Amino acid sequence: MSHEVEILLVEDSPEDAELTIRTLRRNKLANAVQIAEDGAEALDFLFCRGSHKERTFSHPPKLVLLDLKLPKVDGLEVLRAIRADVRTKAIPVVILTSSKEQKDLIKGYNLGVSAYVQKPVDFEQFSEAIRQIGMFWMVINQAPPAEAFVANKAQGA
Amino acid sequence: MTSSIKLIAACALIVLACIGALSFWSEVRNDKDREWVRHTYLVVGKLQTVRIDITQTETGERGFMLTGQDRYLKMYGAGVDQVRQDMTELRDLTSDNAGQQEAIQRLNPLITARLAEVGDGIQVRKRSGVLAGVEAVTRENNGERWMGQIAAQIDEMRQTEAQLLSRRLETAAASTRKIKVVIVCGNALAILILLLAGFVIHRETSRRNRAEQNLKHVNERLERRTADLSETNIELESFAYSVAHDLRAPLRHIAGYSNVLVQDYGPHLDEEGLRYLGKIGDGAQVMGRLVDDLLSLSKIGRQQLALQKTPLDSILRQVVEDFAPECSGREVEWRIGALSSADCDPALMKQVFANLVSNALKYTRKREHAVIQVGQTKQNNERIIFVRDNGVGFDMQYVGKLFGVFQRLHKARDFEGTGVGLAIVQRIIRKHGGRIWAEAKLDQGATFFFTIGSPENKTSKEPEFPVVFPVIFPVTEEEMHVARS
Repeated sequence: MSHEVEILLVEDSPEDAELTIRTLRRNKLANAVQIAEDGAEALDFLFCRGSHKERTFSHPPKLVLLDLKLPKVDGLEVLRAIRADVRTKAIPVVILTSSKEQKDLIKGYNLGVSAYVQKPVDFEQFSEAIRQIGMFWMVINQAPPAEAFVANKAQGA
Repeated sequence: MTSSIKLIAACALIVLACIGALSFWSEVRNDKDREWVRHTYLVVGKLQTVRIDITQTETGERGFMLTGQDRYLKMYGAGVDQVRQDMTELRDLTSDNAGQQEAIQRLNPLITARLAEVGDGIQVRKRSGVLAGVEAVTRENNGERWMGQIAAQIDEMRQTEAQLLSRRLETAAASTRKIKVVIVCGNALAILILLLAGFVIHRETSRRNRAEQNLKHVNERLERRTADLSETNIELESFAYSVAHDLRAPLRHIAGYSNVLVQDYGPHLDEEGLRYLGKIGDGAQVMGRLVDDLLSLSKIGRQQLALQKTPLDSILRQVVEDFAPECSGREVEWRIGALSSADCDPALMKQVFANLVSNALKYTRKREHAVIQVGQTKQNNERIIFVRDNGVGFDMQYVGKLFGVFQRLHKARDFEGTGVGLAIVQRIIRKHGGRIWAEAKLDQGATFFFTIGSPENKTSKEPEFPVVFPVIFPVTEEEMHVARS
């Protein structure tokens, strides 16, 4: 890999993935997007195992775009795993889903999601949402420093 | 039926109280009767004692006559004292009986005379010796005469007392018998009443038990059916939700790719091709709105009411303010009456007002001067809220379709919409236990009425066909005509 992955897009629908990536590219917001088609693959990538075992934890993605309805391991489980491990817990995670069901919102925020966005049906609104998310997390937001991904020694002792 | 038990209990109480009082009273009477019997025995005994004591004085006299010894003299003296005391006691004992008192009056001089005679004899013996004494005692043989009279008098008194005794014994026995009768009859009556009460209570209890059992069965069946029904309802709701939810993804793709097609291949398409693509995009958008509305409708079905005392006034004010942008460039006259507060879910009630006001604004769009009136009125002690407009109205023939999902009474070309707004309003009102109905005339405006019942009172079912109440409002149809022209 010549450059590090900046965005992990966890999305089982290839159409949604394509439209999302297209929007990000057209806005010059992401050159390196990794797609995971289900929750298990997303976890393999994030925890550097399975087909991603050559990866290291030293370069976490700047953003995870997470769908909720996923095969194998669902989005909220992925979020729980990310937040439970010190090596991944600081990664910004934005839920990007069709659902705005109350219980998903509550669970998402209780598990420590960074933002929650419902995919609009209207393509212009959809594009605008993706553009704003990309703009905020890639450009405006300060990514967590490397020190955020190691256990606090003072606490660990 | 409990009143009969109360009656029996009251009777039992009264009877038992009477028996108690009667027993007590009889007992007191009986005590008195027995006291009288004892008293009679005392009098009879005392009469006997008088005779014995007189005889003692005579015995003392004779002993002294024969022997001259002092101990006989003492015996005589004691006898005299005894007789006097006896007479005093006898007088006291018979103080209640005038006849006996008179008899004592007759007896007294006889005894006094006899005792005096005996005293005289003793004096003669002391002074003149044995022979003179005996001679003095036997000379006129008076002693025997006096004693005969005394005995006769005492016998008469005893006779009287004996008669009294037999009368009193009889009275005492009678009162004892009466007590027995009272106790036996009273107890029998009490037992009878208790049995009756027991029987009535038993009958009542078993009847009530049967009724309760029945009610329990019915309730259980009802609960089971309600549980089944609400389970089915929830299943249906979540089915609708997941269908609507899953429909969104392909819609997004249709809209997205038709857009991408225009972006990437637009230059290669002619005008007609671009128009077709535009139609595809529009169709996807319309369906997206339908799906969203369907989602919010099903969400209301699954949602729990968060009831609180809500000032409808301020909710309505917010709604009207929210619609301000839509009113720009239009002449809209708001006539907002005072609304009292209600026990309801504020968010849902806001949606009710929002949907109704939105409708009113939509269907008055072609009026130069739109009049939207919101207020409340009272009918049969029930508060009715209404939203009235002077818009295009509708034909009352189709009023039954008004609140159906996806039902529209206007062409989409004239007025856009999904036909879910009023269904949502109806669902919210029903969830609150209220009713909603409408009244309109084609091209002369429409009025929506609703009540906010108490949610516990869900039995108030909405009629199949909304009932039109003859309500008189400040804004009449003529006024609306005036407003229009």
